[in-house]
Amino acid sequence: MLGAAETGWFLEHAYLIPIIPAVAFALILFFGKRMPMKGSEFGVASMAASLVLAAGTAYQWIQRVDFFAGGEHVGALAGFGRAFGLREEGSAGFVEPVVRKVVWWQSGGVEIGLGQHIDGLAVMALLLVAFISTLVQIYSLEYLRGDRRYTHFFAALTLFSAGMLAMVLAENMVQLILGWEIMGLCSFMLIGHWWEEEANAFAALKAFWTVRVGDIGLMVGTGIVFFGASAYAKSLNNGSSGFSIAAINEWALNGTHSHAILLWGSVALFIACIGKSGQFPLHTWLPDAMAGPTPVSSLLHSSTMVVAGVFLVARLYPLFHTGLDINVAGQHFNLIAVIGGITIIIAAALAFVQNDIKKVLAYSTVSQLGYMMMGLGVGAWTPAVFHIFTHAFFKCCLFLCAGSVSHSGSHHSFDMKQDMGGLAKKMPITTACWIVSTAALCGVPLFSGFFSKDEIIDNAHHNGYTVFFIIGLIGVFMTTAYMTRATYLTFFGKARGAAAGEHHDEHAEAVVHADPHLAAQDEHALDDAHDAHAGPHESPALITVPLIILAVLAFASGFLNAAAFKIEKFTEWVQPALDGIHFPELHSAEFKWANSIPSILLLLAGFVVSLGVCVAIYGEKANPVRGLTDRVAPLRWGHTFLVNKYYLDFLYEKIIARGIAHPISKAIYWTNQNVLDRVVNEAGIGARLFGNWVYRNIDQRVVDGAVDGAGAAARGSGGALQPVQSGKVNQYGALLFGFAAVGALVLVIVNF
Amino acid sequence: MLSSLLGAAGEFVRPRIDYHALAPELILAAGICVVLMVDLFVSEAKRWITATLSGLFLIGSAIPVVTLAVIGDDTRSMFDGRYVIDQFSLIMKAMFLVIGYVVVLLSTNEVEEGGYHQGEYYVLLLSAVLGMIMMTSARDLVSVFVAFEFLSIPTYMLAAWRKRDAKSNEAGVKYFLLGVFASAVMLYGMSLLYGVTSSTRLTDIGAYLADHDTTAVIALAIVFIVVGFGFKVSAVPFHSWAPDTYEGAPTPVTAFLSVASKAGGFTALVSMVYLCFPSAKDVWQPFMFVLAALTMTAGNVLALRQTNIVRMLAYSSISQGGFILMPFVVAGTKAAETSLKTIVVYLLVYASTNLGVFAVVIAVTRKTRSGLITSMGGMLTYAPGLTALMTFFLASLAGIPPFGGWFAKVNAFRAVLEAGTGLGYAIAIIGAVNTVIAFGYYGNLMREMWMKPAPDGDNTPVRTPPSLLAAMGITGAATLVLGILPQLVLRFGDLNDLVHTAAGK
Amino acid sequence: MDVLRNQQWLLPVGTFLPLAGVLVMMFVPKTKELLHKQIALLTMLATVVIGIFTAGYYAYGNASGKLQFFIDTEWIPVIHSRFTVGLDGLSLPLYLLSMVVTLLVMVYSWDHVPAPGNPKMFLILMLVLQTGMAGTFIAQDLILFFVFFELVLLPMYFMIGVWGGEQRQYASLKFFLYTMFGSALMLVSFLALFWQVQQRHPDAVFSIPYLIQHGGELPRAVQIWIFSGMFIGFAVKVPMFPFHTWLPDAHTQAPTQGSVILAAILLKLGTYGFIRIAIPILPRAAIAWSPWIGGLAVVGIIYGALGCLAQTDMKRLIAFSSVAHMGFVMLGIATLTPLGINAAVFGMVAHGLITGMLFFIAGSAKDRYHTLEIKRLGGMLKQMPKLGWILGFCAMASLGLPGLAGFWGEFPAIVSAYNPFSGNSIYPDGVNHNTFRVYMVIAAVGTVLAAGYLLWLFQRVAFGEPKDEFANHGHAMDGHGGLAHSVGAAANDEHHSDIQDVKLTEWIAWTPFLLAIVVFGIYPNLLFKIIDPASQVALKAFGG
Repeated sequence: MLGAAETGWFLEHAYLIPIIPAVAFALILFFGKRMPMKGSEFGVASMAASLVLAAGTAYQWIQRVDFFAGGEHVGALAGFGRAFGLREEGSAGFVEPVVRKVVWWQSGGVEIGLGQHIDGLAVMALLLVAFISTLVQIYSLEYLRGDRRYTHFFAALTLFSAGMLAMVLAENMVQLILGWEIMGLCSFMLIGHWWEEEANAFAALKAFWTVRVGDIGLMVGTGIVFFGASAYAKSLNNGSSGFSIAAINEWALNGTHSHAILLWGSVALFIACIGKSGQFPLHTWLPDAMAGPTPVSSLLHSSTMVVAGVFLVARLYPLFHTGLDINVAGQHFNLIAVIGGITIIIAAALAFVQNDIKKVLAYSTVSQLGYMMMGLGVGAWTPAVFHIFTHAFFKCCLFLCAGSVSHSGSHHSFDMKQDMGGLAKKMPITTACWIVSTAALCGVPLFSGFFSKDEIIDNAHHNGYTVFFIIGLIGVFMTTAYMTRATYLTFFGKARGAAAGEHHDEHAEAVVHADPHLAAQDEHALDDAHDAHAGPHESPALITVPLIILAVLAFASGFLNAAAFKIEKFTEWVQPALDGIHFPELHSAEFKWANSIPSILLLLAGFVVSLGVCVAIYGEKANPVRGLTDRVAPLRWGHTFLVNKYYLDFLYEKIIARGIAHPISKAIYWTNQNVLDRVVNEAGIGARLFGNWVYRNIDQRVVDGAVDGAGAAARGSGGALQPVQSGKVNQYGALLFGFAAVGALVLVIVNF
Repeated sequence: MLSSLLGAAGEFVRPRIDYHALAPELILAAGICVVLMVDLFVSEAKRWITATLSGLFLIGSAIPVVTLAVIGDDTRSMFDGRYVIDQFSLIMKAMFLVIGYVVVLLSTNEVEEGGYHQGEYYVLLLSAVLGMIMMTSARDLVSVFVAFEFLSIPTYMLAAWRKRDAKSNEAGVKYFLLGVFASAVMLYGMSLLYGVTSSTRLTDIGAYLADHDTTAVIALAIVFIVVGFGFKVSAVPFHSWAPDTYEGAPTPVTAFLSVASKAGGFTALVSMVYLCFPSAKDVWQPFMFVLAALTMTAGNVLALRQTNIVRMLAYSSISQGGFILMPFVVAGTKAAETSLKTIVVYLLVYASTNLGVFAVVIAVTRKTRSGLITSMGGMLTYAPGLTALMTFFLASLAGIPPFGGWFAKVNAFRAVLEAGTGLGYAIAIIGAVNTVIAFGYYGNLMREMWMKPAPDGDNTPVRTPPSLLAAMGITGAATLVLGILPQLVLRFGDLNDLVHTAAGK
Repeated sequence: MDVLRNQQWLLPVGTFLPLAGVLVMMFVPKTKELLHKQIALLTMLATVVIGIFTAGYYAYGNASGKLQFFIDTEWIPVIHSRFTVGLDGLSLPLYLLSMVVTLLVMVYSWDHVPAPGNPKMFLILMLVLQTGMAGTFIAQDLILFFVFFELVLLPMYFMIGVWGGEQRQYASLKFFLYTMFGSALMLVSFLALFWQVQQRHPDAVFSIPYLIQHGGELPRAVQIWIFSGMFIGFAVKVPMFPFHTWLPDAHTQAPTQGSVILAAILLKLGTYGFIRIAIPILPRAAIAWSPWIGGLAVVGIIYGALGCLAQTDMKRLIAFSSVAHMGFVMLGIATLTPLGINAAVFGMVAHGLITGMLFFIAGSAKDRYHTLEIKRLGGMLKQMPKLGWILGFCAMASLGLPGLAGFWGEFPAIVSAYNPFSGNSIYPDGVNHNTFRVYMVIAAVGTVLAAGYLLWLFQRVAFGEPKDEFANHGHAMDGHGGLAHSVGAAANDEHHSDIQDVKLTEWIAWTPFLLAIVVFGIYPNLLFKIIDPASQVALKAFGG
């Protein structure tokens, strides 16, 4: 067993982190309804517990890193010798991940473990997920109070976090798939939480199906990689199979494989990531997923679910790196970077035409995920992972702000144009948090986003991916622009609709429409709601406290890896050894303020332009800019094109899905009934008909007719001898002898 | 000339007669006389006693069969090999006697209530059985023919037993006429055979054919003989009498015809084919193939469309005959022994099953008074026991485990496949397809009983007289035992010797 | 093949015990319905107890590859067939499954005897059926196997034909003729196989272990011909793509109990036959056939899924889904690798549990709504939340969600298709990999379609508001939701007044299914460690 500094209880028992919420899920399911708080206590408690564990794990991991780095944290007796030993066997700066597993199942000589693979990446993600989940659950306590399926909600939410955590510390691909799919299931339940509404149910199905399409790649890819790596994994004989993540990574780097396998494997797996992380062209489910309650959206879009795809790429980075020729000289494009780049732009563009505040954030998420993917694609592993980290805080915060607005400000509406505006005065805390997070998202210097996103852009430039460097910059501009628009519409300008505290009838409908879970409540609750929401006001503490915490982090988290100030703790702790054995050799850019100037300028430009346009369009006094899209044809076309989301949904839903569901399946079924089944029935009927025919035309008429006549005659005359006189009998005799003679003749001929 | 006659007479040596071996025939013969006498002297009211008597005599004559089997010494042959008691003949004798007994059970109520001439009825029945058990031992053209006529002629009369019923008359007449023609053809064939080989003893003929290559005459003879028996076993295209006769005759008689006289025909065919013709197989093997294929197929296909139970059963028994003919196709090959066993097994299974079917039909028609298949509707509700039993029998006929039929069929398939000849494979495939077709009508009957309501909505339960119950008991037990533990029955009746004689040893 | 002979009595007793119950019931007048139910239930309970003992005495670990409780006594020497029974890792799960399923179906029948009643016959048939199914799984002699294989036909025929839906008679006859056609050819090929072996070994017997030893010696062409006969016989039963048309009718028309048993056990007889008989005995033919089997399998996957999407009736949809699921099983088998075979056997069990459960749900829904037309259903979650969630659970399990049983049948099957048997010292001619890699992708697409039709079904049946014709008869699920309905519930006509949530007997019958689905899903090794050694043995010829 290793020394205290090097490992520890938390590291060894990290596998408990997902188990606790999983158990809690079961408890909620079976006892939730009977509990005083309808089961929510289980959820919150379990998340808090796993947060503690995650924190402990993180602490001990840091110790471990320092130990391996031979840093001053090493306990006196913890042993140089061992340190030396490790130096010799491991490579420079390589920190052995803490891998533990039990045999889960074995089949056909393959042994699949269930366990943990704890390294920097895993620790980071664990901490992140546990933290965000805890906050979101606390937030939900207030936000969903009085909801019909309160208990169900918490059950699903808890299982959801469990799934993500299980995936994050997965020791092998199968376990990863397990967590991955559990998340899929929970997203289905949570997005469709208010399934009375057709639309919500459909959004849930869409999310599940779209992700499932990607999962084709996951299954196929896993299969390919498994058989590719299993030989190497066996040679390790540390009980790891072709599914083990460590084994796969090392195998991908040790060059004892055909490149084709790596290529196909990584492409297939990346398809899965596209589906899960809402990358182009499978991003369409993500905005619809807003049908779920706001806490769900914030959880899905900040730290869980959608980052799973990015996480998978980061997790198996050596595979993708080798398979897709990232950082190979002369390769200016690769699948990941291209998809990421496209996603950044198209998603950001869509964010401009949304009226629903949550949809703006949704598209912003998509585009930020694009950044992460692009970062991984251009070889900026650490910045990309760091962007996962920072993005989680500010995006979560933004969503919760949106939730807070709708909860207390806009009377459960999310429509920025109808029911918001001028809320800054009424909801100061929310506004403040929002602005901080927005700044982080746009990448305002010193805010967290700046340290992560700009690193990505910078590295794209440094690694020679000029195109993606430019895309990144454009992305900065657009991000700032649409966020400014959203901010302006929500918090500034003049109050509209619910924000102005109006309560006229069609608005009441709007309420009902906007928020089914309230509509579903009985009259009494509705009245309460009206009383409670007499005009916009700040949200209660259960909501604001998480907001504040997140806002603080949205600002501060960046300083974990502020290259600008020579702080690179995050890199030190999370980034694996770039030794080419366990991880590809990456070269990250040296930070220079000069390099970040273009992005800062574009940021300012975006802010100014957008603000100007917003004031012009949504401001009080009339202005020529207003209604431009209606007057100028090209703009109008562009606008409609965007409003219709590039007609991708049309393609998927109306053409592909409907096509399969109706004409094709109908055709197949028709074939089944009228061809395959027909054959069988015809065979049966045919036999019967043939029987009839033979019976009527041969058996009865030819052979038998004669003697029937005899019988008839007998009946007629009553005498049994009568037929002998009737000549027909000779006829029969002839018949019998005929048969005999023919038979004989045939045989005679045959034989001689 | 006179002296020569005397001389011939002088050379006459009194044949040694093994009375133990002949005991079954003798007892039965005695039985016939006794029943006849009794019938003369008892009053109309007491005529039922004849039934009991004939039953007793049938059992009685079964006793020596058993003892002979138990002693089980090697074959006893009399009249220098013209009349042989071997294990084949013993097992067949036993079968015929049991069949006879069951038929008596079936007939008791029918004949009594029908007001037929009981005495004569049973006498004729017994004589037919006597003919059959003689047939099992006949090893000479003459004795074969005599036995054949002996088992046929009484059945002509039985078929027409319901005098006042035109249908019954037609049945009798038709059966009689065609029977006569068939006998004529067969006799012609036999005379040709005698003319060529100048011997009537089957083994001699077999030996002769083995030495000489088959001429056209012999081919002709063989074909005619096979045709003659083909009529008896109602092989297509010589089957046309069967449906009408079966329908017209009183049902117990039909049962008797469809089982006993068919089996008699097959017994004769076996002794001819295995003793006389084995070496001339290229003559009759294709012929048998055609017969078997035609018979099983046509019988099935025609049975599909029948609406009358008895007619349906008639065609079904035709197709079953086709399956029994199947092993004959490979009789001349190395699978000879297997095929012979197969035939015997099949006959046993078929006899027990088919009699069972008729027993149930008789029991039900006592209630429904209708011959239509649809009249069996709703049996599940008013006679579940009979329904289950009937289902067993039908399943057995269709060859569904665990009822006898499957074993018979498996055996038959095994025999033809073991031969490994082209004809063998072909007939196997045809047979396989036919088993499926067959279920078409068996299943149809099951469907009527299980799934349809009673046509007249009359659900009063059926009263089944004890004799019928006994019959069902015997047949049902036999069917089940043959299906689950066939070995019990097959233990006795190892048929090597006949085959060895066939092989000329 | 070495065998273990302790506690031999368990197998025959466990198999034939139901017949004892039948014997008793035959002499009880059919008017005493309660008594009949009690007898039948007791019999099955006893049987299951025997089954538990069997599982207890069973030697696990590597011994699981051996035939255990092995009996080999004389049966029909005339045709060289012996009463040979034994249990190994391939058959144990299915053997026990058959017992448990039958027992639970009996529990369900306690208050769900379908029209036209007559529980006596109904239960008797079920018991006979059980004997047939259990026997098929323990038989180690081809003829014995055939006998049991056929024994299940008649009971199921009557179960469908007498207690089934509108077109029950058509469906039942079709089921019967179709299967019988298959088994006739199967029988012929059994006999041909035996005769071929006998030519080389005069002392040949029908025992499967014996034939596994000597079947491989046959020339390739002969093997292929014999295999084709078996193929049709088993493929009809599975059912594989072109031979599947009996299934939707049979499933749809059968009474709930019939559908459950059909789905849970009867379909497995075919796949089991492949693993137990066709492939080990005729390895070279298996190699030659595997691309075709695999091809038909994936066609079945896609075809069945699309067929489901076209359905308007819930039960028929579930029926069609069986075609797709058995496709995965067959794909696993076609790879001729232990990984694939294990997946297949696991898939059989999982499909048995899940689809069986789905049929239960369909049956109970029919009892309540008196229709299964998807258009007319909706909002089940509101009226019968428990039933609705169970439906959702089973749908998820059926579409292969990891953590539930269904996944372990599908995923390894798909993975194994990437790398099928690729020749070895004994049989250098392997299976074409590229073909199977295409199959792999197609199969993976099939999982998406599965998600498609199952969730689509779930959404239309369970989500949304109940349709008007049923809306006013729901029982409130809780204070908020049900309020609107409980108001209307006061004035409900008697026709739909029976819409109530899961009943007691249903709970008793279903809980084991649901538990098993979860347990096997979370800890698949429970099955894999039983199956694995056996499939290794079965594939010894392929160096498995």
